[in-house]
Amino acid sequence: MAVLLHLWSPYTGEEMPFTLLSTLLVSSIGGTLAAVMLAVSIVHEKSQHVYDLFLVRPLKRWYIVTSKFFAVYTCIAIASILTLIMGIVIDYFVMGGAPAVILNEAIQSLAVSLSMMAVSSSAGVLIGVVAPSVLVGVIVMIYGGNQISVLPLLPSMLNISNPVPFTLVLGAVTSCVLLLIAVFIFSKKQF
Amino acid sequence: MSASNERNGFVVFDGVSKRYGSLLALNDVSFAIQEGEIFGYIGPNGAGKTTTIKIMVGLLKSTQGKLHIGDHQMPEEKGEVHKMLGYLPQNVAFQEWRTVNHALTTFGKLSGLNKNEVEDHIKKVLELVALPDVRNKKIVELSGGMTQKLGLAQALLHDPRLLVLDEPLSGLDPESRYEVKQVIKKLGKSGTTVFFSSHILSDVQDVAIKIGILNFGRIMQIGTLDELKSAFPIRHVVNVRLSHDSGRCRELESLRGVTDVEQPANNSLLVHLDSEADVDETIHELIKSLLNIGCRIRSITPVFPTLDEVYLQYIRRGEHS
Repeated sequence: MAVLLHLWSPYTGEEMPFTLLSTLLVSSIGGTLAAVMLAVSIVHEKSQHVYDLFLVRPLKRWYIVTSKFFAVYTCIAIASILTLIMGIVIDYFVMGGAPAVILNEAIQSLAVSLSMMAVSSSAGVLIGVVAPSVLVGVIVMIYGGNQISVLPLLPSMLNISNPVPFTLVLGAVTSCVLLLIAVFIFSKKQF
Repeated sequence: MSASNERNGFVVFDGVSKRYGSLLALNDVSFAIQEGEIFGYIGPNGAGKTTTIKIMVGLLKSTQGKLHIGDHQMPEEKGEVHKMLGYLPQNVAFQEWRTVNHALTTFGKLSGLNKNEVEDHIKKVLELVALPDVRNKKIVELSGGMTQKLGLAQALLHDPRLLVLDEPLSGLDPESRYEVKQVIKKLGKSGTTVFFSSHILSDVQDVAIKIGILNFGRIMQIGTLDELKSAFPIRHVVNVRLSHDSGRCRELESLRGVTDVEQPANNSLLVHLDSEADVDETIHELIKSLLNIGCRIRSITPVFPTLDEVYLQYIRRGEHS
């Protein structure tokens, strides 16, 4: 994706390096797609009673919910990191060096990307647990879950100096809250 | 024999009720199952069989009443119960992208088996349910019957003390049904407590030691097949097989205590006795008369009601009340 964007050569403005753009796109599109798939998978497995076989074994219900989250999040985080590395390489050649600047932007991009995807994925889990059907899950995820996933962008948009820690904290806290709600509802659910 | 008198057992339901909104799905259900017993649970659609099972395995919470399994109370100690529980749901479903081996390995580990044990147990259960060649197949490629057998395999994987099977024989061909019934019998003999529901009464009759009949969320009767039959008016019918028929069998209708004589096939008679008659005395007279009219008797047996007839009687009684 990073290579394709480079070939397409979009005008990203003076303040947005290519690294940031590519990771933002991956985290936004990839995160949304992954979260929709996650929600659909949970709703489908719930309706098919796939979880019955897990719930009658000696494991805690939170384990099932968090396993789903980490399985998907790990995959898309790796995809995002790969895109970021490719973006850094391209930026290095396009900007003719200046590794310190590129690295700084890359760290910010990575923080935004990982945080947005964490929020998307946890929203996907929550919507999957709550939604009564696949259709409702997809609609709520696209129009609701996607909106909430931009929360970690706030520190960058508000021009806070050194936004990386704020982005990470905001992403982690939002994800944890969404996951906790999902775990609570799943634990109380009767199958 | 009413189960309400039995308060000691491996599985004890004590006044369990379950309400869904205004619908009372289970109404004050009480019974006990002893360790090592094979318990057949029968009833019409919507009677509450699956609700009972889901409460038993901890997927649903009862609205009222107590449930003990082993030394543990459900659902408070369901973690302990789940260690000794194997469960096959009515419509078993897996994550179909997994292979059989992958799915069973996951379930084995989640049930507390270590890596080496999982390997041995998978081999053992797949052989037990006659599915030895599907280990590396994807679940999506299995037929309905094979998926059902895989469901049984995952339930048996960790050698559970209590096996709960919801319609385990549905969707199986006659050969597979026979195999699964043999597996259930074998487990019962080895001391595993088996609770299973079924619509196929002949299968319940073949396998279960004790039978519970449920209708409208209430237990209608519990007992062994003989106990269920004895609580039910005995049909006074005698089946006579002849090795020689003299052609004078109609004369038996004039016997005291005999109301009708049917001849469903050559050399076979169904003799209906008066419900007020002394059965032993009438059968004695019947034998003498048969010999007097020149018939030779091969066998003579009273006809007992089948489980189907007993079941229908209880279900109808429940509907009337």
